[in-house]
Amino acid sequence: MKKILAIILCVCMVPFMVACGGGGQSGGESSDGEQVTLKLWSIATESDANRPAYLQAIEDYEAAHPNVKIEMEAFENESYKTKIKAAMSGGSSEDLPDIFFTWGGAFLGDFVDAGKVVCLDDIYANNYTEEQIPSVMLNNSSYDGKHYGVPTTFNIVAMYANMDLLKQAGWDKVPETYEELTKCCDDLVAAGIIPFGCAGSETWCVTEYLEPIILKSIGYEDLNKIFAGEATWNDPDIAKSVDTLQEMIDKGYFDPSGIALGNDEVKANFLAGKTAFYQNGSWNTGEVAGADFESSVAMFPVMNAERSTANCAIGGPSDHLAVCSESANADLAAEVAVELGKEICHYNYLNAVGLPAWTPDYDTSALEPLMVQIGDIVNKCEGMVLFGDTAMSADPAQIYLDYVAKVYGKEIDGQGFIDGLTKDLQ
Amino acid sequence: MNKMYSDKRYIILFLLPALILFCGVLIAPIGASGYYSFFDWNGFTDKTFIGLSNYKELFTSDSIGFMKALGNSLLLAVLSVFLQLPLALLLALVLGKNIKGERTFLSVYFMPVLISTVVIGQLWLKIYNPDYGVLNVALRAVGLDDLTRIWLGDKATALGAVFVPILWQYVGYHMLLLYAGVKSVPPELREAAMLDGASDGQVNRFIVLPYIKPIIKISVIFAVTGSLKSFDLIYVLTNGGPLHATEVPSTLMISMLFLRNRYGMGSTIAVLLILLCFGFALLINLIFKEED
Repeated sequence: MKKILAIILCVCMVPFMVACGGGGQSGGESSDGEQVTLKLWSIATESDANRPAYLQAIEDYEAAHPNVKIEMEAFENESYKTKIKAAMSGGSSEDLPDIFFTWGGAFLGDFVDAGKVVCLDDIYANNYTEEQIPSVMLNNSSYDGKHYGVPTTFNIVAMYANMDLLKQAGWDKVPETYEELTKCCDDLVAAGIIPFGCAGSETWCVTEYLEPIILKSIGYEDLNKIFAGEATWNDPDIAKSVDTLQEMIDKGYFDPSGIALGNDEVKANFLAGKTAFYQNGSWNTGEVAGADFESSVAMFPVMNAERSTANCAIGGPSDHLAVCSESANADLAAEVAVELGKEICHYNYLNAVGLPAWTPDYDTSALEPLMVQIGDIVNKCEGMVLFGDTAMSADPAQIYLDYVAKVYGKEIDGQGFIDGLTKDLQ
Repeated sequence: MNKMYSDKRYIILFLLPALILFCGVLIAPIGASGYYSFFDWNGFTDKTFIGLSNYKELFTSDSIGFMKALGNSLLLAVLSVFLQLPLALLLALVLGKNIKGERTFLSVYFMPVLISTVVIGQLWLKIYNPDYGVLNVALRAVGLDDLTRIWLGDKATALGAVFVPILWQYVGYHMLLLYAGVKSVPPELREAAMLDGASDGQVNRFIVLPYIKPIIKISVIFAVTGSLKSFDLIYVLTNGGPLHATEVPSTLMISMLFLRNRYGMGSTIAVLLILLCFGFALLINLIFKEED
């Protein structure tokens, strides 16, 4: 009996030993003609507007390249930041994806500094022209003159308007000046309509309101310098911008419930006709266009014409694909990533999820009119400023977000904002 | 066989797998955290040795706010010990009296422990929703509109609003521990006390409570260390906000590690959490020993 038991135990051990051993390539063989499986990590979850573009681009690529299989694993936005950083900092090559979604600017920059990302210069130089991918679109994923990312879309902060609600308050157009905007908001409040909704539990949503006000007060050149750490936050016009936002909150222009809500709930409130405006990334265009009301889009108006033009925006190509240098099939993964990024950009544009970072070489006649409106705004832009939390590296970005949260919670005023950031980010 | 058991080589051999597992899973990561806490490191690039600077900064920096986070955890520990445990004890004593529907009540009170924390978090998020949440709706329904709040968005109410589900979720857990203790009290002890004319309250006070004191001690240790380590429900409900009002050391640690890329500082918080948990466990043991 004991012998039988011993044999059973030994047999049971075999699978564990097999599982512990090995260490072969997860990605299969990379030589020509053989089946290769590439692992892709993204944030294109079921509820993410980018998902259809990812799925379509992958399907197209696999159909054109039968020997390549792309396995996409999608994670929720916030948890993905933790996941990718943890994998990059400690994971072995088997824990890492071949291709991964990343934000441009400092987020990708940290991985590049650590030598974790493949340089894509050769692929861009050999396979693509400046006309297809303008070099300005690669700026946010370029470090020391080398390109490490593939932009999958290009977005700006846009102010969406529910024209049905605006009409109820006596407005048949989106306000174009700050004076008009305040008048419109006063009329909306008087009509019992909440002008804006902003998700306080996700501070990046507050920056979508604050940054355009600062931009339209000090101009894109100065704000770019501040985000790059080349200029100080100690600017009275920034303090004034913060005070303007708080004044808007005090006047009841913002839904008071917003402070406890997440972005999905605030967006749902706008789409359900609870608020008249929703200022957020242009990736929401498809959803806004599909809402049961007449919609329009505009930019936050100029606050200080001496320093800023109307033709500038917060945004740029922020979403990218990059290739992990520890990938067993890094060369192939690099080729796939660039082609996949190009096609994701294509489908995102047609789905009204973002503007094209890659020059469209396909029929765009059926494009969503709201997306065309945003395209027109961007075409007029003289300058862009990348989202602050993406432009700055992780630690200063978080300190900055903490101060933005304090502004929305009215714990500090404009002076406190510039004093605090000047002290903590000097 | 007896010879084998008395041979230390065999004992070591049999204990070795568990020891390796224990060291690999528990001791080594603690050691690694201690090591990293002496470095300025973003998790990717080279580390810079900075000695105790992380510890110093943790206790002095306003922007990190560790003392406030620690204060929140200690407040939760106090509430757990003086609110959650008495409630759990009361339920255990009542259910331990062989009342009708004992098993049903036991299952109902224990149910929140079995439900995923994320589900509980979502449930309470809906309860606290300022517009359609059942709490505000109920207050409005009875004409108490003035008492409606943005429970999780207001600095004044967020901490309390987060503590309620945490305390509620684990009442059943402590109740079950204490119930097992109450049930283990020999019936003859109770009967003897009853024959001497002791009331229910006196039986509980002089027979049951002293008998289950070791279990109460375990419950107190679990409640205090659990409060210091509390993370999941807070992460789901507020993620430490608004304006760090509900920040606890664990949420701060996650923020340092993965949002601010300060692996050294995150490791420092991890080390302090371990030390605090050990310290409080020892202290509670000491208090109960002195009472004995």
